[in-house]
Amino acid sequence: MKKQNDAAKRNVPKKVEVLLAGKVTIHKIPTGVRGFDDILGGGIPEFSFNIIAGTPGCGKTTLAHQIVFANATEKKPALYFTVLGEPAIKMLRYQQQYSFFDESKLGKAIRFINLSDVVLEKDLDAVFHEISKQVAAIGPSLVVVDSFRTVVRKATSGVGDLEMQSFIQRVAQFLSSWEATTFLVGEYVQEEIRDNPLFTIADGLFWLSQLVERNSVVRKLQIMKSRGHDSVPGLHTIRISADGMQAFSRTLGFANKKKTNPTRGRRLSVGIPELDEMMGGGIVEGDSLLVAGPSGTGKSALATQFIGEGLRHGEPGIIAIFEERPPGYTDRADSFGLKFETSQKKGKLEILYLRPLDLSVDEMMQEILDAIERVGAKRLVIDSLVGFEMALAPGFRADFRESLYRMIGALTGAGVTILSTVEVEDTFTALSFSHYTISFLTDDIIRMRYVEIDGQLRKVIVVIKMRGGNHSKDIREYVITDKGVVVIHPRQTEYARLSTGLPDRISQREEVAPEPKATK
Amino acid sequence: MNPAAPQTQDLAKRLIDYEMSGDKSFEPKAPAVFYVCETLRPHLSIFMGDTGFHALLSRALVLAYAHVSWLQAVQVKADGSLGVSDKVAEQVAPEEMHAGSVALVSQLLSLLMAFIGANLTLRMVREVWPKLSLNDLEFSKGDKNEKAK
Repeated sequence: MKKQNDAAKRNVPKKVEVLLAGKVTIHKIPTGVRGFDDILGGGIPEFSFNIIAGTPGCGKTTLAHQIVFANATEKKPALYFTVLGEPAIKMLRYQQQYSFFDESKLGKAIRFINLSDVVLEKDLDAVFHEISKQVAAIGPSLVVVDSFRTVVRKATSGVGDLEMQSFIQRVAQFLSSWEATTFLVGEYVQEEIRDNPLFTIADGLFWLSQLVERNSVVRKLQIMKSRGHDSVPGLHTIRISADGMQAFSRTLGFANKKKTNPTRGRRLSVGIPELDEMMGGGIVEGDSLLVAGPSGTGKSALATQFIGEGLRHGEPGIIAIFEERPPGYTDRADSFGLKFETSQKKGKLEILYLRPLDLSVDEMMQEILDAIERVGAKRLVIDSLVGFEMALAPGFRADFRESLYRMIGALTGAGVTILSTVEVEDTFTALSFSHYTISFLTDDIIRMRYVEIDGQLRKVIVVIKMRGGNHSKDIREYVITDKGVVVIHPRQTEYARLSTGLPDRISQREEVAPEPKATK
Repeated sequence: MNPAAPQTQDLAKRLIDYEMSGDKSFEPKAPAVFYVCETLRPHLSIFMGDTGFHALLSRALVLAYAHVSWLQAVQVKADGSLGVSDKVAEQVAPEEMHAGSVALVSQLLSLLMAFIGANLTLRMVREVWPKLSLNDLEFSKGDKNEKAK
């Protein structure tokens, strides 16, 4: 038997052998929707038979239009059948408001054909005949039926399930044979998936939905089926703006990107020499550092110095702020002698002020990622995590940690060094780091806190954790001057229980207060 | 109800003149508007369906006969074609007939412009009458609901 096979192989010409050995290449067409191709694993397979489903107002027609306008040309035209849904004249009226709408494509590249009369007055055979007649005449590469649901609803009033299935099968086979990538748009609810033959036949099923959480509404997209290729699972946020639909992948587009962490181990200065020393030489490049402390302890000042030091070494940065406004940040930098405005003008620094209460976490992350890409940022400040979470619509807060985890993981993997601040309440009984479960978010933790010493509320800093290696365990006092955070004094050995904020003096050393005490 | 904008009336006149210049299969006494609408009908019906075209033309007719009374005798048939009795057609003076045709065509075009904008309407007109020169028409200002360039 083996000999026979070998002989057979020898008789096959070389070129044919290569063809036999090769798999078919499925080309993918772009959706024209930012972020959607990433979710789909590259785009929509050519000649596939797809369903765009969901409840009214989710953006089904907008998605179909965007795909059509992104792909249709005079040589590869699109046929858009409208059926008893939104009248074509109104569809054009509204869709032309989107920036993707290119009126020059109408007529030759994109043709709208109204099937309503055929559907209303005739049977499924007539509908199939009309579709096939138009497809045969024009030879489109894209076909949309909007809404296919109305075809089915009308048809099923007079025919059995089998006939309906046969009709769908015929349409699918015909359109695939004509090398058309097809989109059937329809209003469906998820309960219908199980028993509907349409969903069995379809190669791709794109499910759009609107979720309401208290006062906020968010649109979601799910790839429920993508035959023959991988897609990113789960619910992805979509937003419809003047530019049409934009999708925000749960993986933030990192799913297919390789990690490019360049020189793991290189230490970066945070702009405070004593703190660098405490950290064992600075923060490891590509680490995520959490700076925790109560209000007024200088977390933002430290973050400002971190970015300033990066800029001094030619490392562009992004500051994402959620509480303080950008002028406050630049003013502080100015007072420390750091000229942020100059760096902003040179495109080396962007300060993002994000407080749009109705955005999803993925959209916010995308804003940050876009900014990082724009300036080629090496350092990122998120000030603060609490503000970030509060800026999200209530319904998205549940996704916050998961999305943050994904973003931090992806960015640090790409070599971006992140400093996040988090506000914690000093209890004077314990040293808490954050109400977040932080260990999975951060490589390194710095804690700033108030302590009461000799009738003054002073500030101390301690490095809690450095994943990159050893670090100082000292609790050091610091002040905030016109140079920023300045760590002063050697380790306070004359006090115990500094970490509680209410230390006990254990020696009698005469201390000079770092800042003048009140005389009265 | 306002008459259509002057630019739209100008366009309507050109379509009517163009249609009347060729060999026509209609009755000699049929108003010129019949020719224009009959040329437009298959194109718009593909796009809007017979029902959609019927609705749009019916509305245009109502708007037009507020200005030209003899149009009240015109009906839009179920298939979207226009009909009028021979008797009415014989009684109306030629200039009145022409004014009615211009009024109805311009109202139909105005409705299209109101819904889909002047750019798409002109694009559609150019596709239906590719030999008709419309380059000197100025629709960038003044027409209602027109998308800014």
